[in-house]
Amino acid sequence: MSRQARDEHDLVERLVAGERAAFEEVYRRHNAAMLRMCAGFVRNHATAEELVQETWIAVLRNIGGFEGRSSLAGWIYTILLNKARSRLRRDGRSVSFDESGEDNGLQAAFDGRGRWKDMPELWDEITPERVVAGRKVLEHVNAAIEALPSAQRAVLILRGQQGLDTAEVCAILEISEGNVRVLLHRARLAVRAALDRLQ
Amino acid sequence: MLSCQEVTERASDLIDGNLSTWDALQMRLHLAMCKGCDAFIGQLRMTRDVTRSVGEAECRHDPDDVRIDAILSQLHEAKRTDS
Repeated sequence: MSRQARDEHDLVERLVAGERAAFEEVYRRHNAAMLRMCAGFVRNHATAEELVQETWIAVLRNIGGFEGRSSLAGWIYTILLNKARSRLRRDGRSVSFDESGEDNGLQAAFDGRGRWKDMPELWDEITPERVVAGRKVLEHVNAAIEALPSAQRAVLILRGQQGLDTAEVCAILEISEGNVRVLLHRARLAVRAALDRLQ
Repeated sequence: MLSCQEVTERASDLIDGNLSTWDALQMRLHLAMCKGCDAFIGQLRMTRDVTRSVGEAECRHDPDDVRIDAILSQLHEAKRTDS
């Protein structure tokens, strides 16, 4: 068993035992991401809060039955997505992966032969450390993520932030691997454009 | 030879290591000769790393005790109703 798998196994056992510190650890790792992803689907912050809270309760109630066939994170996000799907169905809507407005802001950057009209330049001011240290830039990035269409947002959060592997992201969102790659790329292009505006 | 537009379309696959050896080589050939695309790939790599750091920064916030208490008391209530 790898170290990561062993750590997760221990964490699950502590959750099963009802250890509060274990729950705090999992909550801290995922709650903000769950809220942001869920709000993208239900388009309402209060509903997202409610569904995330229901998800946590379901996680803790059913943790004894968690068999480790997926990662713990994959299992948690699957429960969240199922809750979002049933809520939307109840309201006569569905989890829509409508990606209309697919222009990624780059179409206009090239001439007829696919060459840059204005060449991109290296960023001098941006590094992960500086972004996280400066509240303003961090909020700018978060705003860019929140402006993404729901599917791009979900893929960026699951794959690009929470580090779930592609196969798990496919299973949770019920989309193909090719789709995950395309959505991740589009999401990154949008965040890149937002960062570029800061220069 | 790939156009700049084609390079940008495959940029994430390059930085995530999803390209075949041949496709990656074609990309690198273009990047060696094109300053703009080289800068673009650098920006996209930075975007990937910044996005990850922003996600990690959120995890460092203290968990909200009030919410955790609310979840645990609802859990307790649900279990009590079950039994």
